[in-house]
Amino acid sequence: MYNLEQLDPEKIYDIIILGLGPTALGCAIYAARFDLDLLVIGKEYGGLIITTHIVENYPGITSVTGTELMERFRDHINSLEIPYITDEINEITKENDHFILKSFFQTFKAKTICIATGSERRKLNISGEDKYTGKGVSYCATCDGAFFKDKIVCVIGGSDSAAKEALFLAKHAKKVYIIYRRDEMRAEPINKKRVLENDKIEIIYNTNITEIKGNGNSLTSVIFDNGDNFEVDGVFIEIGSIPASDIAQKIGVKTNNKGEIIINRKSETNIPGIYAAGDVADAPFKQAITGVAEGVIAAYSAFDYLKKTEIKY
Amino acid sequence: MVIIATTENYKNIIRQEMSKLQTHAKLSVFTSLKTNPDGSKVRECYECTNFMNLLRIYEQNSNGKLEVEELSISENQEFARRYDIQRVPTILFIDDNGKELVRYLAAPQGLEIQPFVKTIFAFADGPNYYENAIKQNLHRINPTTIKIMMTNQCPYCPQLIETANLFAIASEGKIRSVIVDILANQDIGQYYKASGVPYTIINERPAIQGMIGPQHLLRELIGSNTNIQYR
Repeated sequence: MYNLEQLDPEKIYDIIILGLGPTALGCAIYAARFDLDLLVIGKEYGGLIITTHIVENYPGITSVTGTELMERFRDHINSLEIPYITDEINEITKENDHFILKSFFQTFKAKTICIATGSERRKLNISGEDKYTGKGVSYCATCDGAFFKDKIVCVIGGSDSAAKEALFLAKHAKKVYIIYRRDEMRAEPINKKRVLENDKIEIIYNTNITEIKGNGNSLTSVIFDNGDNFEVDGVFIEIGSIPASDIAQKIGVKTNNKGEIIINRKSETNIPGIYAAGDVADAPFKQAITGVAEGVIAAYSAFDYLKKTEIKY
Repeated sequence: MVIIATTENYKNIIRQEMSKLQTHAKLSVFTSLKTNPDGSKVRECYECTNFMNLLRIYEQNSNGKLEVEELSISENQEFARRYDIQRVPTILFIDDNGKELVRYLAAPQGLEIQPFVKTIFAFADGPNYYENAIKQNLHRINPTTIKIMMTNQCPYCPQLIETANLFAIASEGKIRSVIVDILANQDIGQYYKASGVPYTIINERPAIQGMIGPQHLLRELIGSNTNIQYR
């Protein structure tokens, strides 16, 4: 466990890394190895990957759950005595040669920042979704799958994540329907094959849901865009995510029309000393491994920047 | 059921973390322990034995700093009444003034080891990141019970549990955190109509579904339209 005594509000860190997912921690590991004074601040430990029930594409690890993978990351950052805290930065300003970062709980100072805040689940924004969240509507099969033992559930979406959610839910539920707006799943071929071979899973293509209905206490059905009422006990929404770039936009970091932070091959943003990496950035292919790589590059770029600007060296 | 903590990996985490405990802390655990006429002791609830075996791992690896006191619910009825113990096993963190800060109706195993360890350390006057903010805003917080419904499979629950517990410990008894495994205590889950976790109930107000960060939780305690003072 890190020592909180290190969190001196007057200290100016070489780098503060925003986020606690694999991208942020990859950046942190390299920043520590570059001997930078660093602090990692994130809303919650692990990032979105902790909801993934199986990760089979992280080189060197054949198969691992998302939570186990992040526990390995935790071992790694603990071994380097990297300090990390659970908090949310609400405001960033520039003062002389450093940045001021404010949360509700403390103020921090840093010469450079890496934004690796990841992304947040996209909602359907349809009637009944909010009302029945926690009463049948879920955004996390790993969290809530066990509540649907021998019940009928549906997964909304056709991505690789949706396929994996359906496969996980099939271990608990009696029947899993994947409801997808297109005519073919876009999951990785290996997971698509597993879905197609699973007797408990059925795919309903070319269909959107327009409403979630219930009896007040729990969800009872969804309404399709053709008007059909389809009875289910649970709805798992897996329709992608939105980059968590609000804080970056507030300080003038450039984003694209999806809200993703625009970075170059050095993970640099348009503001010198501010880097971005992972799901919050504009890379077209978003995976833990690619995020980690961008985070590592951000750490190197920050190290190089500090060296060149002679803030530290 | 206590499953994950029996793996060597998680035992190692407990060993590594608890060996760093510097100051004394005492946990009270109510179980179904009974004394037979011949003086021998037996626990009537199987889960109580699992709980105690798990907690002994924490205790045995703490260099004598953590004390886990097992209390029989039938032989300590006054104490049980005082803390309104309705079921076993129940873990209590009680401060020096006798105030209950944290209650666990959940096994601190698997992913729940980290928040439990951090709770123990903060309880033993160790680091608590939220302490200053909670103390500064204590006059704006009414006596509060935060109930967090969780399961051991929930990857978000540990973070929220850690935050609620650290808030409670910093609050000098004004906030109480209650952690409930709703797969092990299904009646409580059904009472609150919880079919997803984490599921947070503050002073019996309508539940907050899903993960909320420390900032959101503090806002819930202070009032959503109130600005929280910066340090």
